[in-house]
Amino acid sequence: MVSLLEQDLLERYEGNPLITAADIPFTCNTVFNGGATKLNGQYTILLRVEGQHGYSVFALARSSDGYDFEIERLPVMTPATEGPMEKYEVAGIEDPRITVVDGTTYIVYTAFSGYGPCMALATTEDFSSFERHGLISEPGNKDGLLFPRKVGGRYVRFDRPIGNDIGRIWVTFSDDLRYWGDSRVVISPRPGYWDSYRVGASCVPIETESGWLAIYHGVKMTSGGPIYRAGVVLLDLQDPSVVIARSSVPILAPRMEYERVGDVCNVVFPSAAIVEDDGQVRVYYGAADTAICVATTTMEKLLALVHKDGEPAPAPGSRRPSYPVD
Amino acid sequence: MLLLMPLKHVKLQRNVVRRWQKNPIIRLGDLPFHAADIHNAGAVLHKGRYILLITIENLQGYCSIYRAHSDDGRHFEIEKEPVLSPAEEGPFAQYETEGVRDARITLFDGVYYIVYLAQSEHGFRLALAQTEDFASIERVALISEPDTKNAALFPRKIGGRYARLERPREGGNIWISYSEDLLNWGDWDVVMTPRGGYWDHDRIGLSVPPILTPCGWLIFYYGVKNTPGGPLFRLGVAFLNEEDPVEVVGRSNIPLLAPSETYERIGDVQNLVFSCGAVTNTKTGKVELYYGASDSCICLGTVSFDTLERICRASTLQED
Repeated sequence: MVSLLEQDLLERYEGNPLITAADIPFTCNTVFNGGATKLNGQYTILLRVEGQHGYSVFALARSSDGYDFEIERLPVMTPATEGPMEKYEVAGIEDPRITVVDGTTYIVYTAFSGYGPCMALATTEDFSSFERHGLISEPGNKDGLLFPRKVGGRYVRFDRPIGNDIGRIWVTFSDDLRYWGDSRVVISPRPGYWDSYRVGASCVPIETESGWLAIYHGVKMTSGGPIYRAGVVLLDLQDPSVVIARSSVPILAPRMEYERVGDVCNVVFPSAAIVEDDGQVRVYYGAADTAICVATTTMEKLLALVHKDGEPAPAPGSRRPSYPVD
Repeated sequence: MLLLMPLKHVKLQRNVVRRWQKNPIIRLGDLPFHAADIHNAGAVLHKGRYILLITIENLQGYCSIYRAHSDDGRHFEIEKEPVLSPAEEGPFAQYETEGVRDARITLFDGVYYIVYLAQSEHGFRLALAQTEDFASIERVALISEPDTKNAALFPRKIGGRYARLERPREGGNIWISYSEDLLNWGDWDVVMTPRGGYWDHDRIGLSVPPILTPCGWLIFYYGVKNTPGGPLFRLGVAFLNEEDPVEVVGRSNIPLLAPSETYERIGDVQNLVFSCGAVTNTKTGKVELYYGASDSCICLGTVSFDTLERICRASTLQED
């Protein structure tokens, strides 16, 4: 008999969950969806911590081995209380993704308010202070992240606007990280698949010889609610709006109790992938909007899956049915 | 900021915008071809001639933009072929599979910039086109992600940058953003929001591209109130600070135009007046507002700048 866990390409760390609310030194509701990076041998996770009042802040976790984390006593970034971002962060800051481009550490996060979720950009040198650079999208947008280098001389980002009631992954370009344009749709939901309802960018794409390898999340809607799973896609190196291959199966699906049960049940939500020197890939993910976990695989396996299993991208302009969204 | 006008004569009344007696000026039957609907029109006075860019839905159900012209602004000749129809190839094609619509025209340094909607399975996006003479319209770029609508360029730079107003679907608010090259946009900020309990309770959006007046940027906008029978679309007015349009210096607390005539009440979308363009008549000192009614015809209404200022002034005082 094949273990259900073996269906997932990603292998869960036996010590999961890595971080739960009990590990946070200040009172909170949950911790999930942390942006992670490895700099000078040190693993850093910018944790999304949802306070008991209901809005989210960022806390900092550091580790030398990527498994045992120490968490700072107080949040490192909280919603702006003055300046132009104040009104756009009154409902919290969410889902940070960290990208180092040309030596600068960028954080793309969701600024949340009654005006709707917007993508916002910040930079940091030490993860203790953050400089905000303002909104970089219209409202109604989430799951943004920067590519780790310029492509064709321009910065590139993924994001997830809702168009025609469907959440798709789009790519957008910028010369200066302030003004954005040339937006194009890249990855759409696939009817009948595990990612039939909605997709969004998850991890900063990894540059390989074959193309940009990107781990994304896909949602299937059921009568009991959504199921969030993770998949993998390969994009053209020169033009990341072109999908070369896309896995037909997820690489991680909610199975463990900590993924099945929580504030939002049945969620695995990768938010960072770190490639080790030996080709191991560590994927940090939020579980059930209640914990931070890690699972590992190798570049070799990811590339093999996306190539072997890769489905060609849906034809541009092909019609797909709308699914009800509320 | 607003010019002070004597207030004793100000009356908040219905139907501030005066309807042209022979409305509607363009009906389905006036078109030289069969069509399902007439939605609305961008408007401009070019070399003494009135030009309308009308959104017309064909029998299959998607929209294209048609040109109409007139010497007096009342009697229009409508061309048989669209001046802008969904792109069939190139980068615009996959975003226009379900139509192009809602052209809003801004004259900027001798070039007419047209912001229109590209509609597809991917949602509504803003697209920019340009022309100098309306003989042909050249596409420039898609300038937003989905879903956003109701956008127009300001007719001059603000703080050294191009600026536009738009209405992202999320939240139903009017936003501003800026650009240095018209292709890449940033620095988004909210300008105006719906007002609970008012006629513009549920969502708002830009109607007519900004017009510079001594009191600041004049914008006509539409406001929607949802009722059990469906949405009510009405027209309002606001003035924005000339240097910093995020500052709303005056806003009418009443609608200037609300569906009441039969052609505004009854049509494919009932109870709807919706404008995308207006012409300033320097002879009469009035704004000539072209508006779509019930998604079925184009109408004309006029209102003076004085009246618009006084209404905003009176509204603001009442709010105080």
